[in-house]
Amino acid sequence: MRILLAEDEEQLARVLKMAMTSSDYTVDAVDNGQKAVDLAKENAYDVIILDIMMPVKDGITALKEIRESGNQTYVIMLTAMAEVDDRVNGLDSGADDYITKPFSLKELLARLRSLERRTTTSKQALHFDDLTLDSEEQVMESSNSISLTREETQMLAYLIRNAGKPLSPVAILDNVWGNEKADEEDVWINISYLRQKLSSIQSHAQIAGEKGGPYMLKE
Amino acid sequence: MSIYGPYEQSLSAVLTRVEQEIQQLNQQTLDDHQPKLYEHLIGRVKDPDSMVEKCHRKDYPVTTYAALRQCHDAVGVRLVCNFISDITRCLKQIRQADWCTVVKEKDYITNAKPNGYRSYHLILDVVAQFEDVDGHQPGHFYVEIQLRTIAMDSWASLEHELKYKHNIKNPERIGKELKRCADQLASCDVQMQTIRQLIQEG
Repeated sequence: MRILLAEDEEQLARVLKMAMTSSDYTVDAVDNGQKAVDLAKENAYDVIILDIMMPVKDGITALKEIRESGNQTYVIMLTAMAEVDDRVNGLDSGADDYITKPFSLKELLARLRSLERRTTTSKQALHFDDLTLDSEEQVMESSNSISLTREETQMLAYLIRNAGKPLSPVAILDNVWGNEKADEEDVWINISYLRQKLSSIQSHAQIAGEKGGPYMLKE
Repeated sequence: MSIYGPYEQSLSAVLTRVEQEIQQLNQQTLDDHQPKLYEHLIGRVKDPDSMVEKCHRKDYPVTTYAALRQCHDAVGVRLVCNFISDITRCLKQIRQADWCTVVKEKDYITNAKPNGYRSYHLILDVVAQFEDVDGHQPGHFYVEIQLRTIAMDSWASLEHELKYKHNIKNPERIGKELKRCADQLASCDVQMQTIRQLIQEG
């Protein structure tokens, strides 16, 4: 992973950079918020770690600017004060996580590992019965293979992760479309697509449920 | 004389006959106010040179007998359909037809070939007035029917280009892309099929 670190306390920055580098991460360290904004525009990072109290531009303002530019990189804030408002402010400004100072180096590294795990597992293939779903490639396979749309991929992943549980159309809508405009009719049409595709690759997996749900993946 | 020996004329006649029979099945369907069975139909007698090449490739003797008995595709008809369900309708009609017997079926639609090829193959035994390679008259002639959707047909044309072009720099890469493309086309076929069903269910 490539990490951007913005921390103005020289000694802390040096320790953090060293620890992360020895964990095989590539680290760019800067000492103010403006430099962080500039570098975030230039390079692709997997994680950005921002201190809040920094000269030239504070961490919150930098974070807002980074988000406004359309950058969705995972951001961890380092909050000096154990103030609830500070953390809330950071999260509401677009941060994904925070660590309160003083913090242990061990904890920061554990969080990075956890994040890394999350990103790789979401890319890993999902299995159910004779079915394999490759979400990256948007392909499902059984005795045969077939491509899926973005919606079908996400819906099937949700169904596989919750196999055997009845899922309401509202829950599926929320998981697959989020804030996008869609309704229960979209859920039904995509369930219909998936059913036909499952049978076209001769999978034993079945989606149970009438129009209107709930739907459930079963063998 | 070609590898087909004295039977070359008969093969053309059998082809014409089968084409007419299938066209008639379609006409009947239209007369019953059902949608057409297929979008288009093409037939051919396999080029004698290709047949010789095939016998070599399959390690058969290069004889008229091998071309007409060990190989089953000297006469071939391809039916290209709009939708997967049309293929099912065609199959039903052909299996019921009294002018032929289905001797073999290969379903490469539900069991696509590893490279992504999808199609439904039928081998028919057609009895015609001519003498066959076994000396029988009326004689028995094999006819291969290939059924596929327009998408499967376009894909097969593309794959055909790859197969017969030998100076491609990275055939593995192209093969991988073709496979991916086949999966996407299969996806479209199934999607169209589903939409059609949703329309019909109202």
